[in-house]
Amino acid sequence: MITEKMRDVAKDLLTKGEVNMVIGWEKGTFWYNSTPVFITKAEDVERLVFDEFCTNNLAKYLLDYKTAEGKVAIFVKGCDARAVNRLMQDQQVQRDKVYLLGIPCGGMKEAAPGTQPQATEGLPLVEKCQNCTSPNPVVFDVLLGDQVSVRDTQNRFAAVEKLEALGTDEKYAYWGEMFDKCIRCYACRNVCPACSCRECAFDGNGLNWLGKQNNLQENQMFNITRAMHVAGRCIECGECERVCPMDLPLMAINRKVIKDLNELFGAYEAGMDVENRPPLGQFKLEDPEKFM
Amino acid sequence: MKAIAKTQISELLNQVAREYNVLVPVAGADKYAPYTPGIELKLNSRTLLPPKDVFFPQTEKMYKFSTDGMEGSLDSLLTTPKPQLLFGIRPCDVKSIHCLDHVFLSKGFVDEFYAAKRDNTFLISIGCNGPAESTCFCQSMGINPQDTDEVDVHLFDLGSQYGVVPKSAKGEAFVAKYAALFAETTEEVPAVAEFTLNLELDGVSEKLAQMFEHPLWEEVSRKCIGCGACTYLCPTCHCFDVSARVAGTQGFRFRCWDSCMFSDYTRMAGGHNPRPSKKERVRNRFLHKLQYFPERYGDSLCTGCGRCLSKCPVNMDITNIIKQVREVDLV
Repeated sequence: MITEKMRDVAKDLLTKGEVNMVIGWEKGTFWYNSTPVFITKAEDVERLVFDEFCTNNLAKYLLDYKTAEGKVAIFVKGCDARAVNRLMQDQQVQRDKVYLLGIPCGGMKEAAPGTQPQATEGLPLVEKCQNCTSPNPVVFDVLLGDQVSVRDTQNRFAAVEKLEALGTDEKYAYWGEMFDKCIRCYACRNVCPACSCRECAFDGNGLNWLGKQNNLQENQMFNITRAMHVAGRCIECGECERVCPMDLPLMAINRKVIKDLNELFGAYEAGMDVENRPPLGQFKLEDPEKFM
Repeated sequence: MKAIAKTQISELLNQVAREYNVLVPVAGADKYAPYTPGIELKLNSRTLLPPKDVFFPQTEKMYKFSTDGMEGSLDSLLTTPKPQLLFGIRPCDVKSIHCLDHVFLSKGFVDEFYAAKRDNTFLISIGCNGPAESTCFCQSMGINPQDTDEVDVHLFDLGSQYGVVPKSAKGEAFVAKYAALFAETTEEVPAVAEFTLNLELDGVSEKLAQMFEHPLWEEVSRKCIGCGACTYLCPTCHCFDVSARVAGTQGFRFRCWDSCMFSDYTRMAGGHNPRPSKKERVRNRFLHKLQYFPERYGDSLCTGCGRCLSKCPVNMDITNIIKQVREVDLV
């Protein structure tokens, strides 16, 4: 049903010339995956779909078209919408250059690879959607579908609390084992809507902040820096953890940072709007200065 | 044919471990790692990480250097490893080693770091009786999933046992040496189960030679996020960078995997980048796999192992791209 509406609105926008491109999802290789698609011709709108496998956060693609002529329309679930807000807050995306097609999202599902098509009701939610605090788009031009209720997110920090309970040496051993597995493919960075630097400090720009050897020391340097760099700007879309080919628990680090920020600077959720600036993106006289 | 019961594999590995450094497919870590008794093996499918790092490690120190005033010294860090045995590689990965051999050992140049490990490694493969994963398409890439000749010993999967077939003189000696573990069987190799992912590769290389400027590349590259997951999980991708680590008067030079999907991969010292956007990078990756490598070595650089397809964050699907290339109408 949403799919029909998507196609109608996309066709309308492209036919009237209000936008030059519509970014959405189409079916992927298997029935259990849907994948980003870029529609530029009205006759191609039939490719668009919305189902329980549209897991990818699309917002980051807006960076590819930020200097393009005209407007780009993009479908946004709750997490995509928060990512768009974040990018707008950082002046990476201009509001009048994007047309936001909001879709309330009941959470994405996953099926075991290789299984035959089955009803999606019985499938489990993907990890990244289990503690979603904003299933409804927080910014949009039109909303397709009815708002959905927010799931219980009491377990949002459960993984963090479990790790916090470990001793220092145990924590070090745990993360050492994790980062030792990192192959430094940078999928976590590249998919992240908070990682919007035109040039990353970790790309070979001659500054050598990080060597190219794959070893624990360098991998740790990368992973910790990545987490700290998105501090206060992570919208918890969980894309980093989803795309990690080595299954590293990256959201545990991100949520640890979020939890600490909330305790230090007061509750804050990135990307809910463009007015409230991230705790580390502003200065207040009453900010804690324990580290000074 | 000789055969060994699957329950006897650990006994075989225990025995050969006295002679070799044995590398086995390990469950959990999902890669090839040193064998230790009791380690949980992954023998029902390919590993997530390919075996290429056995011969071509992700990071490899090449030589060290030091200075003392105006004097300097260099010391090679090339070592000859203890004989090693790589157990349980699949025909797709055997083919990938064949591709790496082309690169590192042929056309008049022998890479001594690769050769030292390659020459010292005894290969034992295991055949697949069909697609081990939903993303497998080796058959379409001209590989027999059940059998391969480019190893020392090959094992056919016969259900409760493996059929043991030597494929080299070293393999003959190996089978003779461990004969006590092998019994004769009349069981036959089952028929290959049907693959769900199939494609036609005929003529693709020739067609791609005319498609460098085709708009297809702009279209298929749009969703690529430019990470290196595909290249690092690929059993045949072999690009590397050479870099150094220096501290005071000492340092070492190393090589490490690099990825043509990274923006800095082709960046020149002056800042110019001949592959400035993902269109050029994605095009290069697929042309290298499907045109340049076949032109130079007569083999596809894709073995159909399906690792990239299984892990790509945005479902970039090489089988789909090949199909799209076939559908292109060249005027």
